[in-house]
Amino acid sequence: MDSNPDAEARPPLHSAYENDPDLRDLVVLFVDELDRRVDSIRQAFLAEDVAALQRISHQLKGAAGGYGFEPIGDAAARLEYELLHDEAELSALAERVEDLISCCRSAVPPADH
Amino acid sequence: MSHDDPIRPRVLAIDDSDLVHRLLRARLRHERIDLQSVRTAADGLRVARETVPDLILLDIDLDDSDGFEVLAQLKADPATHDIAVIFVSASNETMDRVRGLDLGAVDFVGKPFDVTELRARVRSALRMQRLLRMLSQRAQLDGLTGLWNRAYLDDRLRKEVAGALRHGTPLSLILCDLDRFKSLNDTFGHPFGDEVLERAAAILVGGRAQDVACRYGGEEFAVIVPAAHADEAAGVAERHRSRIEQVTWNERPSVRISASFGVADLSGLDGDPTPEKLVAAADAALYVAKTSGRNRVVCAEPAEWPRQIAG
Repeated sequence: MDSNPDAEARPPLHSAYENDPDLRDLVVLFVDELDRRVDSIRQAFLAEDVAALQRISHQLKGAAGGYGFEPIGDAAARLEYELLHDEAELSALAERVEDLISCCRSAVPPADH
Repeated sequence: MSHDDPIRPRVLAIDDSDLVHRLLRARLRHERIDLQSVRTAADGLRVARETVPDLILLDIDLDDSDGFEVLAQLKADPATHDIAVIFVSASNETMDRVRGLDLGAVDFVGKPFDVTELRARVRSALRMQRLLRMLSQRAQLDGLTGLWNRAYLDDRLRKEVAGALRHGTPLSLILCDLDRFKSLNDTFGHPFGDEVLERAAAILVGGRAQDVACRYGGEEFAVIVPAAHADEAAGVAERHRSRIEQVTWNERPSVRISASFGVADLSGLDGDPTPEKLVAAADAALYVAKTSGRNRVVCAEPAEWPRQIAG
């Protein structure tokens, strides 16, 4: 398994739909709100609020790909999968959370035209 | 807006995520649909009952319930039973899909959506829904006269009786039989007989707006007369009788037709009022009209007259 040795060094993540006129504004909004989502993921993790983590990761899994950020959806899916298994180890969980957070952070809004 | 189409299909999206609602709205923007969004199962069920949309896009994982439960409730309620439901879910479990389809969902769309697929599945579900509605309506119409048929009459009468009993409102039923129809058929041929049926049907359907005219079978018709007691329904029947009597044919000036009518009032029935008893009472009155000379209106005798005065 290749995980991310250096999460902070991710290249900018562009939406696959950033040039789709129907979706452009929504992508901007989505990226805008990612900061808030990252905060709530971190808080839920620190508070060991599994239900909240599950809800957030499930929603991102279903929606991120729709906004053209499939890597975020995949990272959220991996976190959700980990959460669904009782024997999940805290270290593995932490890795998934960090992975998702850094993935979210690498997302960039569409460039201005 | 002038080109706003009044019959745009209505689609209800039930999903707990605003992210998904925004996406659906953007992705379905160019479809000719009205999209409404709700975030909880409870709101979804309420809006479904109130507005009866054509299609529901239903998320499986809702905060306050799950999509399977919502679907089961939609299917259990006659008011929402026929709404097409597409499951929308991030779950890729085959069992989830199978369970949803078994419960009566028409389709399944995975998240994240493939835009083209989402639009195609929504269109396909709406098209199927429209065809089903046309079919079910056609199955309830009489092919010759265009009146409601017997199957519809049975169904509608059951609902009208239930409604009248629940709300304590009057309800009457008229049965009508064309006089000497067989001999008209034998003398002038079936095409002319069909024409007679069509002319009579056109008169029966031209009564009060709330009356429901049906072809009961052969040369027999039924008219459900809501919110009317026997005397008022008899007035309706008398107008029909008189207009049928005046029908003439240019190419057959000597031919005249007539019809006999039996009228029954739900409140005049013996014991617990049922649709079957109402039909039987109207039929008995019709029999009296036939045997006492035809071309007349006869009201059923109230069973326990004057029981209405008692309460």
